[in-house]
Amino acid sequence: MDDETKQKIKERYQRQVNRGERFWPDSIFKDLIVSLAIFTLLILLATFIGVASEPKADPSDTSYIPRPEWYFLFLFKFLAIYGQIPVLGKIEWIATVLVPGIAMLVLTLLPFIDRTPNRYYTKRALPISIMALVVVDIILLTLMADVPTVSENGSKLVGWLQAVAGLAIPGLTMIALFLMAFAFKNISAKTMFWMTAIASVLMIGFTGSVLAIAPKPTATAEGTVATTLVDQIFAGQDLYSVNCTECHGDDGKVTKIEGVKGLEGKEIPPINGHDVLYTLDDASLAEVIAYGRPDAGMNPFGKTYNPAGLSKSEIDYIVIFMRYTWDDRFEMPAEALKPLFPPLAEGEVPSYDVHIQPIVKRYCLACHRAGKENNNFLMDSYENILSTGDNKDKDIIAGDPNSYFLQVIQGHAIPDPKDPTKTLIRTMPPNSQLKPNIVDALIRWIMAGMPRTAEDAAKLTVTPAPATGPAGTPSVTPTP
Amino acid sequence: MWKKIFDWLDERLGLVDLYKNLLDRPEPQGNWWNTLGSASLFLFIMQAVTGIFLTVYYTPSPDHAYDSINYIMNGVAFGWLIRGIHHWGATLMVIVVFVHMLRVFFTASFKYPREMTWLIGVGLFLLTLGMGFTGYLLPWNQKSYWATTVGTQIAGTVPFLGDFILKALRGGSNLSALTLQRFFAAHIWMLPAALAGLIGAHLYLIIKHGESHFPTKDD
Ligand code: HEC
Ligand code: HEC
Ligand code: HEM
Repeated sequence: MDDETKQKIKERYQRQVNRGERFWPDSIFKDLIVSLAIFTLLILLATFIGVASEPKADPSDTSYIPRPEWYFLFLFKFLAIYGQIPVLGKIEWIATVLVPGIAMLVLTLLPFIDRTPNRYYTKRALPISIMALVVVDIILLTLMADVPTVSENGSKLVGWLQAVAGLAIPGLTMIALFLMAFAFKNISAKTMFWMTAIASVLMIGFTGSVLAIAPKPTATAEGTVATTLVDQIFAGQDLYSVNCTECHGDDGKVTKIEGVKGLEGKEIPPINGHDVLYTLDDASLAEVIAYGRPDAGMNPFGKTYNPAGLSKSEIDYIVIFMRYTWDDRFEMPAEALKPLFPPLAEGEVPSYDVHIQPIVKRYCLACHRAGKENNNFLMDSYENILSTGDNKDKDIIAGDPNSYFLQVIQGHAIPDPKDPTKTLIRTMPPNSQLKPNIVDALIRWIMAGMPRTAEDAAKLTVTPAPATGPAGTPSVTPTP
Repeated sequence: MWKKIFDWLDERLGLVDLYKNLLDRPEPQGNWWNTLGSASLFLFIMQAVTGIFLTVYYTPSPDHAYDSINYIMNGVAFGWLIRGIHHWGATLMVIVVFVHMLRVFFTASFKYPREMTWLIGVGLFLLTLGMGFTGYLLPWNQKSYWATTVGTQIAGTVPFLGDFILKALRGGSNLSALTLQRFFAAHIWMLPAALAGLIGAHLYLIIKHGESHFPTKDD
């Protein structure tokens, strides 16, 4: 740049400054307003959206779908689209290193590449159009980031649409723009801007169609994330109920396994006493659960050894649960002592939703789910409880105290009708005895006809003679 | 009385000169797009302040990082607010710095005599991304662990040097305690120091050349 141009630039700037404002207070005032707005926005985001809790890092969980930070997502999508190109697509570093590297280099050296003194936008049609395309592309690639390039039925259509939207249109438009700027020099800036605008609209259209035909993301059942101690204890309780009760019983007391195929009658140490809890610290306890005791019959639960197993966080919750429930050196926080279900008033009928489901989950589900030995009696849903089981006609009969279900939970095994010396069904759960209030709730539920929702149960409730409370109020006031 | 104290201080500190040179400057007619630079600066300061508070409780080890974050969220008074601001501030800072760069690009403010301001700006942009990348690993949860795994893998695809870069970033061939330690050091010492230094130079140049004016037909 020669001195004359420099002089001109300086003079022009001086004229603008003379017509301008003061840094203080004029500019600072605007700056402060924007900063204040950002500050408010941050507080609102932190308060109302917050930071989602995530499970602890688990290097063994290779099933986790890795995702980079959102502002690198566009690069990942670019990489995935690029990988579809035959032959060239196999050379990964072209997309991971070369293209971003060149882009960054151009961006850095911009003042030395674009050396004309021109600043007005019609005199910079080429750089402005290209940057606009890049920005639109970055936004669209980010939006498409979660759509796979091959749909579930193996069709590559989504992938091709993505390639058209994210690679072909912007690429071809850029080439055309370069040609316009250098080969046909007297094309007006307006034409180039129009072309950019049309290309952007096309890109947006194709992206829209990709998003429209993309399969809706199914809510994956991810492990719960408990953050407070109380939540962790509850999460651990639930996981323990499902995974461990079949062998160790709901209270960890079992010394002889019953009702588990292959381990019938096996003697084991109780896991709720000093022998286990005092000798194993948290890390070793977590390790026992992760490795299991394969030679003694306890299968591994860690994801490393058992792909369908528990995550690191989940195993930690079980350990926390065991400590706070059975280790006398730890005191259960008061909030964690809340009862399994709200206590029943006299004459009140329990419902599946409020009372029975938590009971079943804690005491029965470990064995009564698919893939376990249980006479095909599945207890994972309301419908299954009423309609499955080898003896489903006799298991649950509304109002019948001789229902098998009610017999076995009260300690009466069912003898085999063909051969009375054998038992058809043992007492349930086979390895322990339910507490009286739980047995009572189950009896009331079946005797009243197995209502599902709290409203159904309320209709069946009989109010004891002198009604409490003013007339008209339902007698099932929720117990605190 | 106050005047006397002020005069005494002014003689030794040069307060009036400071005011004249830094604040009472003439500028071209302003524009709301010109607030993005100072917004970036504001976000940087917010990140620094909240980040310092977070280091009081944060422990950079695979065994304790996750629990220490958990404790910040649930055990420390207003810990959730501090972490929330830091978390969202990081996202916002990437956006604001990027848009600031775009506005400088579209108004062609990087041209003579502001080429160095732009060069330093690119450094600031890369450092901001680096802060985001290193900070993301620190909570040591599934998301951050796997994001860093794929992120460093990408760096590993560089021809010839890839393996070296990968190991230098991870401190070994796998993500481990060393990686966390390394990212922590980069996130709280190296990158912020570089960022602060470059911001100083950036601001010096802006004051030296003055804010550019919005381009008109003659430019
Ligand atoms: C299939 C049956 C089975 C299941 C399910 C099971 N265990 Fe075990 N567990 C065993 C057996 C058998 C032993 C006894 C090993 C021995 O004798 O050393 C055992 C032992 C243990 C021990 C004591 C280890 C020691 O060194 O004394 C702990 C603690 C334990 N289990 C916890 C759990 C937890 C927690 C779960 C649920 C995640 C669970 N177990 C699920 C069968 C099981
Ligand atoms: C340790 C595993 C285990 C637990 C826990 C358990 N069951 Fe069972 N259950 C079985 C097995 C095994 C059978 C098959 C009959 C047998 O072997 O006695 C069975 C059978 C039954 C049957 C008969 C189903 C039919 O149609 O033949 C009923 C009813 C039943 N269980 C109720 C319950 C209830 C209610 C609970 C929870 C309070 C429960 N069980 C907990 C293992 C278990
Ligand atoms: C941490 C990040 C950054 C901070 C804190 C910052 C701060 C500032 C401030 C306060 C201004 C003056 C006000 C304004 O024009 O908005 C400015 C101007 C400028 N910035 Fe930045 N900036 C950052 C990143 C960048 C980046 C990424 C670039 C470009 C690559 C850049 C290039 C420029 C240029 C060229 C100017 C002069 C603009 C003009 O005079 O009109 N800056 N910056």
